[in-house]
Amino acid sequence: MSHIFSALPQVLVDGLTLGAIYAVVALGYTMVYGILELINFAHGEVFMTGAFIGTGLLLSMGAFGSALPAWITLILILILTALLTGLLGMGIEKLAYRPLRKAPKLIPLISAIGISFILQDLVRFLAEWKTGNYIVTGTTLFEGKLTIPFSSIIGTFQNATIKTNTLILIGITIAIMFMLDIFVNRTKWGTAMRAVAQDQETASLMSINVNKVISLTFFIGSAIGGATGFLFAQQYATIDPYIGFILGLKAFTAAVLGGIGNIRGAMFGGLLLGVLEVFAAANLSTLTSGVFGSEYKDVFAFAILILVLIFKPEGLFGKSAKEKV
Amino acid sequence: MIRMNKGLDMLQKNRKLQFTLLLLFILLSSASVYFLERSVTAFLLLLGSLLLLHYTHLSKKIKWSIALILLVVIIPLATSGGTSQQDYMEVAVQTGIYIAMALGLNIVVGFAGLLDLGFVAFFAIGAYTYGIFASPQAATLFHSNIFPLGGAWFWPFIIIGGLIAALFGILLGIPVLRVKGDYLAIVTLGFGEIIRIVFNNLDKPINITNGAQGLSQIQQPELFGFTFSLASQFYYIVIAILLIVIIGVQRLENSKLGRSWKAIREDEIAAQAMGIPLVKTKLWAFALGASFSGMMGVVFSAKNMFVDPSSFTLIESITILVMVILGGMGSIPGVILGAAVISVLNLQILTEITNFLTQTINIPETLSPTKMQRLIFGVILVLIAVYRPKGLITAKTKQFDPKELADQTISDK
Amino acid sequence: MTALELKGVTKQFGGLTAVNKIDLSIKDNSITAIIGPNGAGKTTLFNLITGIYKPDSGSIVMNETSLINRKPNQIANLGIARTFQNIRLFKEMTALENVLIGMHSHLTSGLLGTLFQLKRVRLEEKKAAIDAYELLQTVHLSEKCNERAKNLSYGEQRRLEIARALATRPSILFLDEPAAGMNPRETKTLTDLITHIREKFNLTIILIEHDMKLVMNISEEIIVLDYGQKIASGSPEEIRSNPRVIEAYLGKGAVS
Repeated sequence: MSHIFSALPQVLVDGLTLGAIYAVVALGYTMVYGILELINFAHGEVFMTGAFIGTGLLLSMGAFGSALPAWITLILILILTALLTGLLGMGIEKLAYRPLRKAPKLIPLISAIGISFILQDLVRFLAEWKTGNYIVTGTTLFEGKLTIPFSSIIGTFQNATIKTNTLILIGITIAIMFMLDIFVNRTKWGTAMRAVAQDQETASLMSINVNKVISLTFFIGSAIGGATGFLFAQQYATIDPYIGFILGLKAFTAAVLGGIGNIRGAMFGGLLLGVLEVFAAANLSTLTSGVFGSEYKDVFAFAILILVLIFKPEGLFGKSAKEKV
Repeated sequence: MIRMNKGLDMLQKNRKLQFTLLLLFILLSSASVYFLERSVTAFLLLLGSLLLLHYTHLSKKIKWSIALILLVVIIPLATSGGTSQQDYMEVAVQTGIYIAMALGLNIVVGFAGLLDLGFVAFFAIGAYTYGIFASPQAATLFHSNIFPLGGAWFWPFIIIGGLIAALFGILLGIPVLRVKGDYLAIVTLGFGEIIRIVFNNLDKPINITNGAQGLSQIQQPELFGFTFSLASQFYYIVIAILLIVIIGVQRLENSKLGRSWKAIREDEIAAQAMGIPLVKTKLWAFALGASFSGMMGVVFSAKNMFVDPSSFTLIESITILVMVILGGMGSIPGVILGAAVISVLNLQILTEITNFLTQTINIPETLSPTKMQRLIFGVILVLIAVYRPKGLITAKTKQFDPKELADQTISDK
Repeated sequence: MTALELKGVTKQFGGLTAVNKIDLSIKDNSITAIIGPNGAGKTTLFNLITGIYKPDSGSIVMNETSLINRKPNQIANLGIARTFQNIRLFKEMTALENVLIGMHSHLTSGLLGTLFQLKRVRLEEKKAAIDAYELLQTVHLSEKCNERAKNLSYGEQRRLEIARALATRPSILFLDEPAAGMNPRETKTLTDLITHIREKFNLTIILIEHDMKLVMNISEEIIVLDYGQKIASGSPEEIRSNPRVIEAYLGKGAVS
């Protein structure tokens, strides 16, 4: 038990890292669900595609890239990745969801699962074709490591190490969340977005171009999801075409946890879920005296997902919406 | 053009002509299966005769008789010509298993409108139910030497496997069915993954499933001293179960229960206002759908003599879903067609194309169509959703004869 | 005899009191109309009685049985049937199937009976189809029995909803704006239909309606709601001359 306590700082650092990723990906889910009431299954794959695009860009920059300072390379790749995945998201919406807006709810969901599979396989194909293996290991822009002396604060704590990459990841994701929050709450387009989420018909009567707003939502959600994909690749070094699906599901749980459609809620849900998951992975074995090991960490994550969806579908802060009869 | 239309028109009206043409088609395709060495095209044409049969205007009785003769006599005979009978039969058995599962999922997705993305879990439960008791695993688990059960136990286990899967369907359903619409898809997906992970790790603290190594040495079915070991023998087991399943779902479709499933799918609030209990009706859908899957799980483990968790991944659940969607949600003939198309695509066509391509133009392994399964499924799902959401064969409503009903109402008075 | 008794029924949504301390006493075999401006709480009241919403306080009693805390399907089985303001038919099913679903609780066939197609089950299904057809005749839809509900015209859909509700064999029938979107001729047919089914099935009918001609024509009792409160009740003549009602409809000052 004391081990759990002393390892807490590291768990917290790792948990917040994972949580920050969940949080940004959750934003994409929550924005789309808020507007279309559609679980955009493909969003996890957009994240994954972002990881591959970013890593691909980095690898193909080669000598030219290493001549640039690392931080310029990073920003360049992030912007390019965001742009490409943003366009990808817009394309997906136009192709697979827009024709189905009036269809029964089951149909767009099926289309979304389809897109998700298509992306997985296309990326797998391209990765295998170019590198010979669908599991890709990228180079790291920042090698540094940092030790935070938690032990000097409270004696029983162990020190936590944190990679420079992790710091960058946390910093950028926080910046993204701030910017999005300002965008949605303070700008004209953000207001239009909220209006469309509330009531599409009325919004269109107020001369808001609903299609444009929805496209923009997909662009932003996918752009930040894709950029996070690259940060993920930097953080964990290896990526494969199947990282998006399960991570997407967890991020969706985070979105529900924070109240679907609620952007700040999604950030909170993501961080909470990340910490819980890392804590469980680190300590399940100790807590259950060896009966369940870390191989059950996904079971734990899914259990949270199921419990949230069953008992708290309106999220931790939200109110439940009743169907109009 | 006009002449052709006339010809079609005549064909549509003339049942005798239809019958003769069908027989001709069956004769030709079965002969080519018999005489050609391993011709996928010929085999597909032979299977296609069943689809042709579906579209003829023959009476129900004649249709069923022809289908039975085709399945029980002609197909096994035709494939016995060359050396590859077991290959053909292997495909047929797998296809049969998938058809039964797709029909089960169709109850849940097609009739009741509940999107279940973890359906393969029930298949796993059936497979493990038989696998544990009919392999040495049970002996170590219960420290008893009555295990493994002999192959004769296979038959009752078809029912037991179905029942246990149904029970799990209910157990999972009770909490899950509180969830609405699209969240249900995610929750069932989560449950499906949980079951797989649990089976993968349940070799400790008590060894129940033997973990990732899986269960081997599972007993083959035995009937009066005869052991079913070849695919061509399993074929008959599968056909028998499949017939029962098809008749079962057809009867369910237009029953009180079947109608209440569809009512819930169309409008939950109105259905409730008509006196239909939501949870109970949904649970029936879950349980019955699961039971079909469980039964086929038993067959699966007996046929392969081996089960491990890798057969029950998410992609399997999606495969079955693609079958239902492609064929047409709620349409029994559609789902059968969808399941057949996808299984044959998976098991034969893709491998054939791959072989052909690697022989002729020597493509890199990455490009091989067998590995493109996800891409193909994804494209099918999107295309169907956008262009043909009702699937290849749209579900028909039951038609009543107004004249007959009108006569009865008058005679009542 | 009282068919249905409401006492102090209240329902709030957030800060809004949609239904405020409503008392009602509905006479057996009567036709009662509930009228009031949009947003007065009429449909909410229906939803409270039929179990879709749960009241915050108050009692709803039918034949000495409380309806509070019962699910909509249980309430349907007690003999309350309804139609919906924004038509809720089973769109992909035929007219006849829609009516068959109304009979759900009166059919006894179980799973095994269905799977083995016992004679009893087959006979029951046959009889149900005949009964359903007869109900379609009652609402003049028998020619469309094999038509999918979504392909029926608006007026036909409204009548099909009535047939479907009748199939549950109710003693009380709630009609939520049955004449909405109908032309005068259709409304006339509907008026006849409502009085006809009351006689034929010995029903108590409660309806929400904005078509005053229809309301004044067929109802014996009219209840007026405004801002969730009952502001008047009585015979059509009494309501017609009630100053509070005129005020609610036309605004303050309209009377003087």
